[in-house]
Amino acid sequence: MGDLTRVTIDFDTSHLIFPTIIAIVLGLLGLAIVIRDRARIAASGSYWRESWSAMDKPRFLGALALTLLYFSLMVPVGDIWPNTGMGFLLCSVPYVLATGILFMHERGFRQILPLLIVALVGPTFVWWLFTYPLFLTLP
Amino acid sequence: MFEILTPLFVSLIVGGTLIGIIFGAIPGMTATMAVAVCLPLTYSLGLENGLALLLGLYVGGISGGLVPAILLGIPGTPSSITTTFDGYPMAQKGEGEKALRIGIVASLVGGLISLLVLDLFAPTLADFAIKFSYVEKFLIIFFALTVMAALSSDMLLGIFSGVLGIFISLIGTYDISRGGNGELRLVPPGTEYWLESGFSLLPVLIGLFGLAAILEQAEIGVPKGHSTKDINVGKHSRFSFGIFKGQSINLVRSSLIGTFIGILPGVGGSAASIISYTNAKTFSKRPGNFGKGEPAGIMASEAGNNGLTGGALVPLLSLGIPGDSTTALLIGAFTLQGIQVGPLFIGNNPGTWDAMIIAMLIANIAMFAMMYFAIRYFALVVTIPKHILFPVILMMCVIGAYTINYGIMFDVWTLLIFGVLGWLFTKLRLEVAPFIIGFILGPSAEIYFIKSLESFGDATIFFTKSWIAVVLWILIAGSVAGAALMSKKNKEISDEAV
Repeated sequence: MGDLTRVTIDFDTSHLIFPTIIAIVLGLLGLAIVIRDRARIAASGSYWRESWSAMDKPRFLGALALTLLYFSLMVPVGDIWPNTGMGFLLCSVPYVLATGILFMHERGFRQILPLLIVALVGPTFVWWLFTYPLFLTLP
Repeated sequence: MFEILTPLFVSLIVGGTLIGIIFGAIPGMTATMAVAVCLPLTYSLGLENGLALLLGLYVGGISGGLVPAILLGIPGTPSSITTTFDGYPMAQKGEGEKALRIGIVASLVGGLISLLVLDLFAPTLADFAIKFSYVEKFLIIFFALTVMAALSSDMLLGIFSGVLGIFISLIGTYDISRGGNGELRLVPPGTEYWLESGFSLLPVLIGLFGLAAILEQAEIGVPKGHSTKDINVGKHSRFSFGIFKGQSINLVRSSLIGTFIGILPGVGGSAASIISYTNAKTFSKRPGNFGKGEPAGIMASEAGNNGLTGGALVPLLSLGIPGDSTTALLIGAFTLQGIQVGPLFIGNNPGTWDAMIIAMLIANIAMFAMMYFAIRYFALVVTIPKHILFPVILMMCVIGAYTINYGIMFDVWTLLIFGVLGWLFTKLRLEVAPFIIGFILGPSAEIYFIKSLESFGDATIFFTKSWIAVVLWILIAGSVAGAALMSKKNKEISDEAV
């Protein structure tokens, strides 16, 4: 019994032991879930179709697309004026405005005006706060 | 002890509490989101001042949830779910202000009782935990994960979520500074540059609790805000403290239930308020009135969910194990300042410990003062349009993720990855709380597990090391068996109902 439970850890490969155990446990748990919920999983096509049809696609996918664009442009724009945080500022203003308009339900001038003010003041204040008092460089 | 009470310290607590109440009062936004968004601001504040802000946000965020729960019948935070049961009927009867003030007083009682438990219990537990070796430390983490998974709505999915969190936390190098060999693992080819240190904790947290929540709202079309016409505070109902006569047992019991639930890792505030509410109903002389506007129901719910605040800090500050999602974020504040929480924390950082207790005390008093006397104004918070708030929060999430490691763009992408993953979790019925606690505790679990085997060379050491190990195994087995029995009982009840 003593020999069966004895364990020797090789330091050079010790980084693989725990991840391997966790991967096996994860696999077994996944298998148990698949076996237990097989009926639900088999019928999940309708669940995903319903989710997709109930989703507000313009707002959800639009928010994702705008966020992707925002993240992708921040560094290239920032590289034009290095170490000034301009990438953040110049991308955040249109991002806040565009996302706000996307999330809006009524898009009249009276609704857009407060958003426009927030889109200009918010990122500018945050840019000033991080660049000057906090000395943290933004992209 | 009181030299910490500088104007800045107090202002940060009061300001944090105010922002927290606003976050809590807006449905779809939570205390966790408030802490996630404001975390990077603590970078330049220092630990005590940073914690002052975050603890204010925490207390305010949990308390603010009662405003929409009572006035609109929509819980502002998940922990206010049971406040809607009696609060909303009272508001409909024109007793909104009265219901709000009952909730505010109960929140204060819950917060103060849990703070007392924190102050008395955490140092004692930490002193005890100092004696733990790697074996007991590993078993404590194992116990925390089993308790958390066992109390999930679906035990199997809860355990899977926790183990998935551990697995993802192991991506990167096996940290030399913690006794590892510095080798990479689980890193896909071509991503070594970005994933050498794995995913950073804070962008992961901000993604899961900030971006994911906004994506969920976007998916349902970002519901329109409420107008002032929707809010019925009520002008004819006068609040009097006499309403608490005969309710002291209910208040203390609910506060202690909330505190105890808070101590259990990963069990959210909704469980605290539901269990408190159920108990109040069971022991009430008027159980039939519950759900129709019974003040005792609001008291139980709010004392229970605010009781969580101090309780959730007990395992964090004594064992290094977060009690809930929000306290998991507080680990981020400690990490930012290079401090590790665990059994040695209170003994080695008495000033910070005192500051936290004082901050929690002031935050509770500030929450009460602001909400009690200005509740009519806070009621208007629910009318703030989300199409203005959400883009600003998204921008703050980006700032938080980017600045946390002195400007690494990969952290911003991590935020997006985990934001989408968090949204996907709700679709797949996976649980975020066990995932995040697994993610936080995974690296420590690995070190304790490997070092135990290296030191003793025998797998039985986990069972034979000490009496504490044996007790922990009994607790682990008990929590799993209890959860399995509860799950079976629930299934039988639902089968009978069908």
